[in-house]
Amino acid sequence: MISPTLFFKFASVTFQKQITYRFDYFMGILNGFLYVFIFTSVWRALFSQSDNAVQSGFTLNGMITYAVMAMVIRISFTQDDAVIYRKVQDGSVSIDLIRPVSFFFMNLAEAAGYSLFHFFARSVPILIISFFLFEIEIPLEPARLFAFALSALFGYLILFLVNFAVGLLAFWFVEIFPFMLFKYGLLTLFGGGIVPVDFFPEVLKVVINLLPFQQILYVPTVILTGHAPLSTLPGLLSTQFVWVVFMTMLSKTMWGAGRNKLVVQGG
Amino acid sequence: MADRNIVIEVENLHKEFSVDESGKGFWGSIKALFHRRKRIVHAVDGVDFKIERGEFVGYVGENGAGKSTTIKMLTGILVPTSGVARVNGIVPYEERQKNAMNIGVVFGQRTQLWWDLPVRESFEMLRVIFRVPLDEFTATMKRLNQALDLEPLLTMPVRKLSLGQRMRCDIAASLLHRPDVLFLDEPTIGLDVIAKENIRTFLAEINREHGTTIILTTHDMNDIEQLCGRLIILDQGKTVFDGETAALKSKFGSDKLIEVEFHDVAGIGDRLEKIDGVTLIRKEGHKLWLRYANGSDGIGGLIGDMAKEYQLKDLSIKEPSVESIIRTIYQKRVALPKHENGED
Repeated sequence: MISPTLFFKFASVTFQKQITYRFDYFMGILNGFLYVFIFTSVWRALFSQSDNAVQSGFTLNGMITYAVMAMVIRISFTQDDAVIYRKVQDGSVSIDLIRPVSFFFMNLAEAAGYSLFHFFARSVPILIISFFLFEIEIPLEPARLFAFALSALFGYLILFLVNFAVGLLAFWFVEIFPFMLFKYGLLTLFGGGIVPVDFFPEVLKVVINLLPFQQILYVPTVILTGHAPLSTLPGLLSTQFVWVVFMTMLSKTMWGAGRNKLVVQGG
Repeated sequence: MADRNIVIEVENLHKEFSVDESGKGFWGSIKALFHRRKRIVHAVDGVDFKIERGEFVGYVGENGAGKSTTIKMLTGILVPTSGVARVNGIVPYEERQKNAMNIGVVFGQRTQLWWDLPVRESFEMLRVIFRVPLDEFTATMKRLNQALDLEPLLTMPVRKLSLGQRMRCDIAASLLHRPDVLFLDEPTIGLDVIAKENIRTFLAEINREHGTTIILTTHDMNDIEQLCGRLIILDQGKTVFDGETAALKSKFGSDKLIEVEFHDVAGIGDRLEKIDGVTLIRKEGHKLWLRYANGSDGIGGLIGDMAKEYQLKDLSIKEPSVESIIRTIYQKRVALPKHENGED
């Protein structure tokens, strides 16, 4: 049932579909770059307000590197979080369910194709432009780079699992816009895409540690940019792995329970 | 002690949905924030049937009668509230993927093909999904291409196909992996007469030559008359008839419709109505439509008498259609003996 060929085929369907939206492509690069520009300007302004060269463990250059790389990773991780919602809404979930393929596997493959397009079409150009425009320092330690690759994979899976679990709520409620909005809010706030977790007050850090969101962007970014010392890497990866396992079990449970609740239009 | 001849079995199948009946309008919506009124709909309310290998079964009922809901449980899309369903010995909602490998499904109102891909690529996707060996696939595609005239469509993206073209492709897609059970949910809906004919011919052929068991839900009674040896009628979630289509007609279709045209019709209508069993339905110029309720008894005599006394210009005798019989059943809500084929 599960095969690399099948994964590739499902991924390429969504990948090819993105190519048809050419206007989005250019706007996507502009949009991403605009964010990078805004964030780096804000950080520059903030750092210049203080005599301290180091804020919550970051130097200005470190912060700029973080902001750029977090953006690049965030764009590479772009997923269509409304896909399950739409499939339930318009009844096309029936078609997914008559295929002898795991629903989870199909949606993961489709998400991978979708994200891969954003990686090539937006992340790579933004990364290249940013290298020329900003002072970005990435430590080129082989162990670190390998850890980053693994961490990015875990982060991506956790994001997919969060989206998948929220999407499955459509099996119960059909209208899940409030849930999607709430998830998006938590992801933006606690994911590390805008503000690294280090800047949050201790009280909030407790909450953040109980949620999966920092594992998605913050952890891969601090590994890549060197902000996390080499010695912390095994610990960070293990925590991510535990979250992958936990979210997978949660999704599996919701899937089993959700199937009983599913109502499909028609007939 | 599983009878291997039984391909589909359904026992006391139930599916309930809860429907939101909360307040409508402005104040109703505010009230709904605090209290939701729900109503339980019994979409499928205790359905039983067994279908043997090679049968071609029509599954009919008004909209909302529970036809599509049953099909969705048999294909693993929905999970029953209670009761059991088995296809080829597999419980579809428990072993969804395994069941999906053995069945073909066509939804008339929705395509299973990929919207933006050329038809040929959709077929290729399905080949990989159903793990069909390449040589088997090539042979099957050749036959399907021929039978359904798919060649000109293969390079077109599905979104550019007409309804009839898309339906032919969907039928082919459902048969790529040579399933021995086929579920068709209103496959001829919206098609023109010729397209319907071609599809019917094809379906009859695969049922006859390959022994494919076929369940067909439809509103088109011609589908039933031409294809389905067995008919299950559903009303409000319950079966009201399950037996041979021919038996339905012989049992309840005893009326005959006589269309007769005379050279001169003065006073004929009144005189004919006085004959036992004759009702005048319609009159147009020199043409009369009569309903004769006594079946074949005496119809020869009736025709003979008419011909003797009046000058007949044209005459035809028609049997009632399955549709009219079903309509009568619905209107009268007649208590029917459920099983016509001797089964219990």
